Amino acid sequence: MIRLLLRVLGHEHARPVRRTVALMTVTAVVEGLSYALLVPLLRALLGGAPADAWPWVSAFGAAVAGYAVLRYLSDLAGFRVGTTLLRGAYDRLGDHLARLPVGWYDEGRVGEVSVLAGRGVMQAMSVIAHLLAPFVSAAVTPLTIVAVMLAVDWRMGLAAAAAAPVVAAIQVWAGRATAAADAARADRDRESTGRVVEYLQAQPVLRAGGRTAERFGLLDDSLREVQRASRRSTLSALPGALGLALTVQVLFTALLVLGAHLALGGAIGAPEVLAVLVLAARCADPLLSLAEIGGRLRGARSALVGLDAVLRAEPLPQVPDPVRPDRHDLEFDRATFGHGDRTVIEGLSLTVPDGQRLAVVGPSGAGKSTLLHLLARFHDVTSGAVRMGGVDVRAMSTEDLAARIAIVFQHVYLFDGTIEENVRLGRPDADDAALRAAATAARLDEVVERLPDGWATNVGEGGALLSGGERQRVSIARALLKDAPVVLLDEVTSALDPVNEVAVHEGIERLVAGRTVVMVTHRPRTARHADRVVFLDGGRIVESGGHDELLRGGGPYSEYWEIAMAPSAE
Amino acid sequence: MYQNSSESTGAGGAGLTGLLRPHVAGFSAVLVLQVVGAVAGLAPLLAVVELGRVLLRTGPVDHGRVWAVVAVGAAGLLVRLLLTAASAGIGHALDDRVQLAFRRRLAAHLGRVPLGWFSRRRTGELAKVVGEDVSAVHPVIAHAPGELVSAFAVPLVSLVYLVAVDWRLTLVTLAPVALAVALVPLMMTPSRLREQEEFDAAMGRIASAVVEFVQGIAVVKAFGGAGRAHRRFRTAVDGFVDAFLRWVRGISGIAAGMQLALSPPFVLLVVLTGGTALITHGAMAPADLLPFLLLGLGLTAPVAALGHGFDDLQAARRALGRIRDVLDVPPLPEPVRPVAPRGHRVELRGVRFGYGTGSDTGSDTGSDTGSDTGSDTGSDTGSDTGSEVLRGIDLVLEPGTLTAVVGPSGGGKSTLVALLPRFFDPTGGSVLLGGVDLREIDARELHRTVSFVFQDVRLLRASVAENIALAVPHADPDDVVRAARAARIHDRVVRMPRGYESVIGVDAGLSGGEAQRISIARALLADAPVLVLDEATAFADPWTERAVRRVLAPSADRTVLVIAHRLETVADADTVVVLEDGVVAERGSPDELLARDGRFAALWRSHRSALVDESREDVTR
Repeated sequence: MIRLLLRVLGHEHARPVRRTVALMTVTAVVEGLSYALLVPLLRALLGGAPADAWPWVSAFGAAVAGYAVLRYLSDLAGFRVGTTLLRGAYDRLGDHLARLPVGWYDEGRVGEVSVLAGRGVMQAMSVIAHLLAPFVSAAVTPLTIVAVMLAVDWRMGLAAAAAAPVVAAIQVWAGRATAAADAARADRDRESTGRVVEYLQAQPVLRAGGRTAERFGLLDDSLREVQRASRRSTLSALPGALGLALTVQVLFTALLVLGAHLALGGAIGAPEVLAVLVLAARCADPLLSLAEIGGRLRGARSALVGLDAVLRAEPLPQVPDPVRPDRHDLEFDRATFGHGDRTVIEGLSLTVPDGQRLAVVGPSGAGKSTLLHLLARFHDVTSGAVRMGGVDVRAMSTEDLAARIAIVFQHVYLFDGTIEENVRLGRPDADDAALRAAATAARLDEVVERLPDGWATNVGEGGALLSGGERQRVSIARALLKDAPVVLLDEVTSALDPVNEVAVHEGIERLVAGRTVVMVTHRPRTARHADRVVFLDGGRIVESGGHDELLRGGGPYSEYWEIAMAPSAE
Repeated sequence: MYQNSSESTGAGGAGLTGLLRPHVAGFSAVLVLQVVGAVAGLAPLLAVVELGRVLLRTGPVDHGRVWAVVAVGAAGLLVRLLLTAASAGIGHALDDRVQLAFRRRLAAHLGRVPLGWFSRRRTGELAKVVGEDVSAVHPVIAHAPGELVSAFAVPLVSLVYLVAVDWRLTLVTLAPVALAVALVPLMMTPSRLREQEEFDAAMGRIASAVVEFVQGIAVVKAFGGAGRAHRRFRTAVDGFVDAFLRWVRGISGIAAGMQLALSPPFVLLVVLTGGTALITHGAMAPADLLPFLLLGLGLTAPVAALGHGFDDLQAARRALGRIRDVLDVPPLPEPVRPVAPRGHRVELRGVRFGYGTGSDTGSDTGSDTGSDTGSDTGSDTGSDTGSEVLRGIDLVLEPGTLTAVVGPSGGGKSTLVALLPRFFDPTGGSVLLGGVDLREIDARELHRTVSFVFQDVRLLRASVAENIALAVPHADPDDVVRAARAARIHDRVVRMPRGYESVIGVDAGLSGGEAQRISIARALLADAPVLVLDEATAFADPWTERAVRRVLAPSADRTVLVIAHRLETVADADTVVVLEDGVVAERGSPDELLARDGRFAALWRSHRSALVDESREDVTR
């Protein structure tokens, strides 16, 4: 557990964690040892010499004071280490997430990572700050007390010591028994969260289809699955908890019987027996709490395992000494890319000379967007190479590559902030004049003018407070401001209404002027303005050439536009 | 469930109590078992006390009594074990059932609140209410009563016993408890509570920074914005750590004092000091010290339980608050006596609509759905939330006609069409179907009559067939295939690993255009007499475009309202409505409007010159 924790947090944090655990252990041992003083104390009080008890009471008082100081220190150390680790874990996670390829973030991952980073890290840290101290204390204090018992009376001590391996075995066994059920439950929980999100997001569709909760079986099934899994996980934890309680109680009963027997036989004095039984009572409570603490620790463990899995995901490899290309022609050299077991791009070769425009046309699922993603290195090719200015994109530094490419996506994501902040993302050090110029070119200026707060208008999470066309203008302004030599456009205008489309087109024209451009498009007009067109289907280039030339050729490309433009009679 | 939703309108709390009522007996059983078990747990400790009394008594030891005492102690342990096990088992089983009932209730309610409400909420937060928050509430309902009652019952029994033994030492034993209780108010000072709130808020900021970081990762990477998103993330983390440390600093001294006061060594020290004093003065028999050493520690349990359970309790209270907030949102009212519409004529009379009004307080402004879709109904309002989006619309859709809505973005088009399937109710005026106000029509009847093809396509993680048959759950498989063919998606479906049984997102991923064709097949299968359609993303590829046109094809028995994005659609329309700033700026047939040479004509010309001429030329050349 600790080892897993340290791996997740990075080993530079190993020392403070170990120190804190050591401090907690010492505190627990001191607590246990302080109880040893109860034996002479009780012997004096119960043995008929109560006046002799006072020195022992003072000694016990001193021990308790020492324990108090240690406990305060170890609590504080727990908190402090917890926060250090929290910061460390977030730094690590943040750095790592930034290095993972964009392709890693599929739909499920986004939710998973959000939950992990939001709650998982916190939960993992609570292990240190809250649970570790009780756990150490619950395990170590009884052991120390057993040692004290051994010193008082070996027979009763031995009886108590015999329980230790049983308790340990039960803890381990309970951990294993519940692990599977807990994992299953976590799966069901995740599944059900996914269904709930789906249910919420699909509300319009579901309502239009007359499917409210009662009639949306998928959600109800998953909620019921959660209930079942939860019941199973509870049932699997029950034997462990009961076993522990049983052991502790058998131990106490055994000591009671053994103590009575020894005292009746005169083998040991009554005060000693009673002192040992008082000590035994001190053992029982912490031991019984072990089950609960163990359960909570296991809960935190699953969060740690998840974090560990994310941190182990391979980021895109970086070269130690990156090459900086001096031109911006683009080249695919027998590039092949597969996602899962599906080949998306297959042995594709293609060049775009510096400053030229390439249009990529083809049916849905042909791999058009993937082509752009490979250029921007959201993924790495499985075989072959993608080059910029003759340099393999894998040999460039990520920052350099990102700096040379401006991308405009079909679906625009804006950060929850002002319009200005989102545009400035393109070039944070841009002056106001450049910002205004980019906005004008993207026809964002008219949007800004219309909004009550102008540039300072908040766009909401993901840009939700702007309309699709407005978002797209922001993203084009962002790309214009970035002023990168390579521009990638992914069906930029497909989601826009005619008015917005005209506006956005003008922005695009300004954006692409004089740059190397690859644009995925479904508009003949856009394709016509390209220097060259490739028609993509099934991850391969089926046809390539000039727009007019291809249209005249009567191949798949002209057929494609034929369908698109044919009158609607059918 | 369907019935009791209307009675609990606006009273989420009452609804929750209703959910618990059937389980009262079960919970009472859990409570009783737990308390009796806990009290039985005192038996072994009392056995030790009695053992002490017997052994320490001067004179010969009564063996029989010793063994009797031991037997009683062992029996008490056994009873405790059995009863606590039983109460835990029953309690958990009940829990699960109650949680399921809560979740179902929430889901059912969320299926009835106005859709406008969703656009102001983050989906993740709502999902958290249904998932985590329900989980957070359950310990309070299921365990807290038992734990609290035993935390008080056991000490109470002990206290009575101890007072009977020696009231002076009992008072001494209570001193640590009194000390701890005296410290409690210090933890509840306004500044402590403020720190706690800051702490919670800081935690929330981390969560949203993470979501933003992850969801915007493509932009982050493409624009080298990693620094910014990362910074924001780090700022949130630093803010959290600071808030946490402030909280710890404020509370650690008091908390440590409290914990120490309740810790076994300290309590024992107090008891032994008092006991030694009493014994040395001959005021108490030595054997009477034993019960205090064994039971006295238990007196701290109520305070410890309160302290321990306090965090959970607080968290549960907040979670319950969030659950109630959701359940308190008034659902779209259902008619008590539904009226059946006569015919399919749709009429809008003086319709006004504002998003800021009604039930929505609009405290947070964000929408998950907007992030990865085009513009949804909520975002059409742009930034002017609170003002009216529709300001008096009169419109009649005659059966069998095609009406095209055009106009600038933000003009209210999406809102207008969303009123027909009753995603919202108008804030003024009324929408009538077959002469009946939509609010008077049974929801199922309405859904059978009006179908909707979305700009924002949502496919469910379910089989293709289920997705297509969403509105017609018991559709004939042949009809599903026919609809898929008509929507030009059949060939693609057949190529999927399991054909129509392929689960979308698991067996097969679909491109945007393909997903749209599924949604078109959905509408074709539903074959509702009134169809509402948003053309926005209908251009993913030529096949999709064709499928859309097929849906739009004139038909005698279908009324179509379309947000038009293509001039072809506009040209085919019987009526064109130009919507601007929430009012109808122009209306009429395309020819009339062109002849009028107003806004529509201007729009037509700009669009035509910009886009269509060239492409037409291209293909026809």
